[in-house]
Amino acid sequence: MNELRPIRSALLDVRNLHTHFLTDKGTVKAVNGVSFQINQGERVAIVGESGSGKSAMAMSLLRLLAYPGKVVSGEINLEGRDLNRLSERQLNEVRGRLVGTIFQDPMSSLDPVMRISNQMIPPIMRHLGLSREKARAEAISWLDRVGIPDAARRIESYPFEMSGGMRQRVMIAMALSCRPRLVIADEPTTALDVTIQAQIVELLKELTAETGAAMIFITHDLGLVARFAHKVGVMYAGKLVEFGPVKDIFARPRHPYTQSLLDTIPPVDQLERRRLAQIPGFPPDMKLPVTGCAFKDRCAGAHRRCFEVAPELEPRGHGHAAACWLPEGLGAGRQMERALIPPMEPAADAGEDRVVVEINNLHKHFTTRSSLPWRKPPTVRAVNGISLRIRKGETLGIVGESGCGKSTVARLLLGLDPATSGDIFIDGMAQMVFQDPSSSFNPKMTLFNIIQEPLVVTGWGTKAERETRVRELLGQVGLDESYMHRYPSQLSGGQRQRIAIARALALKPSVVVADEPTSALDVSVRAQIINLLVDLKQKLRVSFVFISHDLLTVSYISDKIAVMYLGEVVEYGPADEVFNNPAHPYTQALISAVPIPDPEAEEARIQKPLSGELPSPLNLPVGCSFASRCPKATDYCRTHKMVLKPYSKTRETACHYAS
Amino acid sequence: MLTYSFKRLVQLFVTVLGVVTLVFFTMRLIPGDPISAMAGDNLSGAALDQMRGQMGLNDPLPVQYLTYLGRLAVLDFGTTVTTKLPIVGLILGALPVTVSIALGTIFLTVLISIPLGTLAAYMAHKGNRMLDNIITGVAMVLDLMPPFWTSLVCLLIFSLTLGWFPASGTVSLDDPAMLLRRIALPVLVLSMAQIATLARITRTSVLEVLNEDYVRTARSMGWSELHVLFRHALKNAALPIVTVIGLSFGNLLNGTVIVEFIFTLPGIGNLLVGGMNSRDYQMVQTLIVFYAMIFVAINFTTDLIYRVFDPRVQF
Repeated sequence: MNELRPIRSALLDVRNLHTHFLTDKGTVKAVNGVSFQINQGERVAIVGESGSGKSAMAMSLLRLLAYPGKVVSGEINLEGRDLNRLSERQLNEVRGRLVGTIFQDPMSSLDPVMRISNQMIPPIMRHLGLSREKARAEAISWLDRVGIPDAARRIESYPFEMSGGMRQRVMIAMALSCRPRLVIADEPTTALDVTIQAQIVELLKELTAETGAAMIFITHDLGLVARFAHKVGVMYAGKLVEFGPVKDIFARPRHPYTQSLLDTIPPVDQLERRRLAQIPGFPPDMKLPVTGCAFKDRCAGAHRRCFEVAPELEPRGHGHAAACWLPEGLGAGRQMERALIPPMEPAADAGEDRVVVEINNLHKHFTTRSSLPWRKPPTVRAVNGISLRIRKGETLGIVGESGCGKSTVARLLLGLDPATSGDIFIDGMAQMVFQDPSSSFNPKMTLFNIIQEPLVVTGWGTKAERETRVRELLGQVGLDESYMHRYPSQLSGGQRQRIAIARALALKPSVVVADEPTSALDVSVRAQIINLLVDLKQKLRVSFVFISHDLLTVSYISDKIAVMYLGEVVEYGPADEVFNNPAHPYTQALISAVPIPDPEAEEARIQKPLSGELPSPLNLPVGCSFASRCPKATDYCRTHKMVLKPYSKTRETACHYAS
Repeated sequence: MLTYSFKRLVQLFVTVLGVVTLVFFTMRLIPGDPISAMAGDNLSGAALDQMRGQMGLNDPLPVQYLTYLGRLAVLDFGTTVTTKLPIVGLILGALPVTVSIALGTIFLTVLISIPLGTLAAYMAHKGNRMLDNIITGVAMVLDLMPPFWTSLVCLLIFSLTLGWFPASGTVSLDDPAMLLRRIALPVLVLSMAQIATLARITRTSVLEVLNEDYVRTARSMGWSELHVLFRHALKNAALPIVTVIGLSFGNLLNGTVIVEFIFTLPGIGNLLVGGMNSRDYQMVQTLIVFYAMIFVAINFTTDLIYRVFDPRVQF
């Protein structure tokens, strides 16, 4: 529609935007000369890792930066007006009216002590000049459009009475309620589950297409970009290093950073597994002046000129532009260093192939204390009868939405919580790698002490032997021995996660449970950790339990996958088979919700996001637990409990209609 | 809510029982008793003993304790030793003065410290720490000045030297103007100790809220800074502020005793001091029960006020 209408000038024209954070330790140049244009109705994704300045850039557009952030210079032309020259009062007529904003975390973005109505209605009255009744009707119709059931009643709810997905819908309704020309969405789905993310993305797509609003979409998820955007801007160290149409960017990226970033994502087609690309080094310190290209130290194609002069964003045809001295970036050199991962060598003797973990009919119920003695206390069935087996050297991936019980399984495996019923048998020892490497270490301990702690606790070896062991472990996780005497705060997120892995391996456990070990990490670092885990698996023949909501990563790293829903395993089987040919409707929905970093493939996929949300584990359905959301559910499913049954030689599924 | 009220009632009962027991025994640890305090050196040992016997003070302590509890159970609070007036009547008569001082202090404190703290938070949020530093400095100085000392200084300056406020004079509810002039200095003294504390708490919790995502959301919808500050930030910051106000009531009960004594105001604080001096067990015990009940009532009210500010608070 919008393409047919002749567009004279761009809706938003940003020129040479500079944003600085004036901290005590120096000026952080977060945004360093960004220029781009957005036409009406266009969806532009801005991608980049944390610290690339993408959020600072987006917040600069409406001057929503918190102290000490400040827009230093640049033009922000919205429909011909320079927002950077407007007074605060004038800008308040633009905020919410011409430009709507959607923020990352729906749990904290709505005022917790105010009803939705009091947050939504006054801005509509103010910006559109409507009476309270009309504004209220308008707000309700928006809530209805974003899919809030029973909107007329729910508008009087408080945010805490809604789920995260629902709150993000409210946030979208609020941002769109004054019919803005432009919507800024800052990582709007990052805090949500993959199925809810798919729903929200579809919703944003529909609504912006309907209202003709343009959109800036800030994200670090390249898959989402492929699903969503018309155009992509890639940011690095406060600058746009590449900008162009989405298909062009994915098919022919020209900047080495974009190229490497795309190669760090586990591929969907995993017939032959290759190591993921790694981007060595760290982004530059934005407090220090940069001579030449900011990416030169991490770039395989860097040459003398890169160290002297910074390349500007130059056109590469078809609206594509890149800031690199090399016209094709890394070019043909891109795929070179990525070695094939050899298949696991078959076990030398039968004992090497034995089962190391066996879980039988495991239950974990959490009972809250009832305040009145005669009332039956509510019980949460977090794990509701699962049985699993892990062989030596095998990696089991556990996937599912948050609240499905996957982390509880991890805690039970480690013996951190007692099971309500059922058995766990572990041949040897289990160790754990946690999600957040910054909070799982004692900040006052040196890395040497952190790693040797399990050895000391169990009275392993002499002091000298322990030191040798720590050196060996550091080597195994790819860190230099000199790190021994440092403290956790001196490390990057990726290095800390390496230490966590070294500590988990210290006692030579038979199984290492990793609960979302890569979720807190940036894309390029994530690839390093995944490669490390794959190497360790090959070298040490340790079994891993890899728990994650990131299906692409799980299917890449795992041999077997168990899909969990409401405390039960609904599908189990070899990773590639489950991923490429899911049998259970829930697995199918989960996998179709995962955005694939390929715009062509995304276009071809049928987008029918799973409706509804995870039911409360307090009162489980009588029949199949998935029946309330299943497109294929019949009355039989609602009344009959499904158990895991063989589906093929290697696979099991808990669906009546799958087999 | 019902369960909650029931829990609170049980709590009141336990608190009062504990306080009563503690006061009963500690009072008897203090040398002297009501009879000797009353008689001074005038009466012989035998006569005193006879009077003690009449009052039951010669019984073994456990018996005295149980007798006291028995009377308490039927709400018999007894009479004073010297004047034989009903104690409850005395307390009710003295209450208006103390309540006026307490409420006046809270009112003045809230009136000054909440806007001041909010302003300091807003300025700090924008990177200006000047007001912040001033408040912290003043707070430190005020915290170091005990009320009995500031009372005397105020008395010296405002009453004796400047003559703005009367240092003595009858006080009753029938003459509100006089009451106001008499309690002005005590209120000022007690407020000085509270204002700085409350302003700092307000500043801290408002500043924290100003960094919250929903404040940014409100800005992104085009609301002015003033609207954001008073409609969103202050309401969200209310819980710690309400808690501190509730706690400061506790401090006030303490403070009123001192200021009533120094400014010779006939409040319940003065009753307490008098009761202690004359070793009037009954009087002191009843007053302490009364104080304990006020404490529990304030806690209860604070909790109810939480609910007004934050719908997430459940009982």
